[in-house]
Amino acid sequence: MDFLLPMLVDGLAASALIFFIAVGLTLVFSVLRVLNVAHGSFYAVGAYVAVTIGGVVMSAGAPQWLSFPILFLSAALTAALLGPVIERTFIRFTYGKPEAVQILVTFALFLIFEDLQKLVFGVQAYYQDAAVNVLGISDIGGIIYLNYQLLLIALAAAVVVALRVMLHHTRLGKMIVAVVADPEVSATLGIDTRRVYMAAFTIGVFLAALGGALASPNSGVAPGLGAEAIVLGFAVAAIGGLGQIEGAALAAVIVGIARVLAIYYVPQLEPVAPYLVMLAVLLVRPYGLFGAATQRKI
Amino acid sequence: MKAIVAALSLAMTAAPMLAPAALAQDKPEQLGMGIFTFASGPAAAYGMPGRNAAELMIEQINADGGIGGVPVAPTYVDEAQGGEGVVSEFRRLAGDGSTDIMVAALSSGNCMALAPIADQLEMPMVTWNCDTHQLFLNAEHPYVFRPNSSTVPEFVAYAAYAAQKAPDATRIAIINPDYAFGHDAAAIFTAAMKAFNPNAEVVVELFPKLGTQSFNTEISRIAAARPDIIFSNMWGGDLESFARQASARGLFRSSQVILALGESILQRVELPEGVIVGVLGDSFWNAPDAKQEALDFAAAYNEKFGDYPVFPGMKMANTILVVKTAYEAAMEANGGTWPTKDEVLAALDGITAETLTGTVTVREDHDGIVDQIVGMTTGGTGTPELAEMVRYPGAAITPPVGADPIEWVSTLTPEFAAELPAPGSLN
Repeated sequence: MDFLLPMLVDGLAASALIFFIAVGLTLVFSVLRVLNVAHGSFYAVGAYVAVTIGGVVMSAGAPQWLSFPILFLSAALTAALLGPVIERTFIRFTYGKPEAVQILVTFALFLIFEDLQKLVFGVQAYYQDAAVNVLGISDIGGIIYLNYQLLLIALAAAVVVALRVMLHHTRLGKMIVAVVADPEVSATLGIDTRRVYMAAFTIGVFLAALGGALASPNSGVAPGLGAEAIVLGFAVAAIGGLGQIEGAALAAVIVGIARVLAIYYVPQLEPVAPYLVMLAVLLVRPYGLFGAATQRKI
Repeated sequence: MKAIVAALSLAMTAAPMLAPAALAQDKPEQLGMGIFTFASGPAAAYGMPGRNAAELMIEQINADGGIGGVPVAPTYVDEAQGGEGVVSEFRRLAGDGSTDIMVAALSSGNCMALAPIADQLEMPMVTWNCDTHQLFLNAEHPYVFRPNSSTVPEFVAYAAYAAQKAPDATRIAIINPDYAFGHDAAAIFTAAMKAFNPNAEVVVELFPKLGTQSFNTEISRIAAARPDIIFSNMWGGDLESFARQASARGLFRSSQVILALGESILQRVELPEGVIVGVLGDSFWNAPDAKQEALDFAAAYNEKFGDYPVFPGMKMANTILVVKTAYEAAMEANGGTWPTKDEVLAALDGITAETLTGTVTVREDHDGIVDQIVGMTTGGTGTPELAEMVRYPGAAITPPVGADPIEWVSTLTPEFAAELPAPGSLN
């Protein structure tokens, strides 16, 4: 128990990044009912855009605090450019189609994005750590942490609250909830489901890109980032229950803590820790922690 | 009779003109060289400097008239296609008659896969990286030569340096990549540290998977263990990420950090002063005893590719120079005619060659004896520089032929480390 405090801080910091990956994935699934394998690509693109814009702005001599708004701006830019276009040109054709078709289409998108990233950025890693440097460090329990890591925990909690407020207290959110409940009835009530789908998908892209952008100051960005993100994202979304935002948050914390426990006590198990947790949860609750059994029509 | 005299006269007149033509027919139009390295994927961070250095070195050799008057024609094979593809390419190049010698490979796994194929196809193969000490451990490879060092002398050198610089350090943390290179290095470094300091203990040992982006939890775990020494043989993007994150979180201030492959990121990451780094051999072009050829090569590399060659590049350049030396030695031995394959093999067996950064000797087991350069960072980026440098003699820290490497390491003593050249002796 000597490591209790550092494990808690490490666990929450790891959970924050995992949450950003999973929450957009689960939101898109809850509204569009699409398993989006390309979600990891948006995470990677967000990171590349943030590092690129941040690099240009910082090398122009801009003040370091500007690196923070750049992270959010990069995510917004990625979402605005990619969200509506990808939804209209690829994703909408998969609505109501079997999961195999959705996975094939989004996996193709993922592969295209992977190659595009290599074409544009090459294979080397990129770093833009101004946001980390400007915040400094803190000593917690004798171990030095980046204040940026602590900020990410607060940001992840803020996103949970913001999403809840948005879904239950805004017009767009209420429309999304209505469409999730019943798209056909929503349409008959005058809700433009097409726009709701596009908006929900774009928010999902924004959350993925924000996760990548926020991870980049500390971790950098390199080829393979998207693949790692999507595998972990699916595991967390499955543990929480696909389509459950609070479930994704809790699952992220469980997976984050599991990984940290593994690194501290059984390092050999670290790579499989998220999947052992997933296995254990799904054996007991096949629809995830917050998921509910659904009727399947034949 | 007149006709005979005329014919003889014609023959005698034409002989001087025909002789070079006859000799030229003996020489091939080109020397086909298969060069295996990573040109894509994460390992390209090491593979591309190797490829670039090969390109430049071959360009320079050909500009000087080639090897024995024969231009070198390289064929590059991307190791990122995986073991099966690499073996298949090796077989194709060996079989189609286009290639006379292979310079392979970066990945130890690919080397282990290719070595028996080289023997089977009777194709000379000169390794340019292939660090694993297992290459010649339980097998003889008559067609395979390693004019480079292996993991044993490479990581014994770091343990010796640590023992000399921090003799009271006992608590060791290790964070290496999760594959054979990382696990072998951990075993060798641990055995050597315990041999040099019987009180040494490993307080934490982590093997994050290749391609890990965030090492924050690992850094916390290491910091919590309060180690005196942190050893890592991570490389490429993993090393860069770890170094940046560990530096930001003060790990380099609280412990003596050893980054075995740290020279490769000196131009990209601002490592603090006093980190122990090396080049897995002697392939550091900017050492105080650097030859003018090394400085010229680095300058040409910088002009062509925009940065200075990191050690994988220098290792590749040195290996091609060994091949050149072997061909020239074989030609000298046979009176100047183009050597047969057997003559090249004979020349490589036991060869001692001058490289850009030192001297290499290939022993009777075809393993190389190469010095080990280790030093400390000076802070800052730009032109790679090291302080407190030492050049450990390769012969002193390489296990004898036939010895079990790990057993040999455990026979070393604190006196052995103390008798080696001292850090700073090269500056």
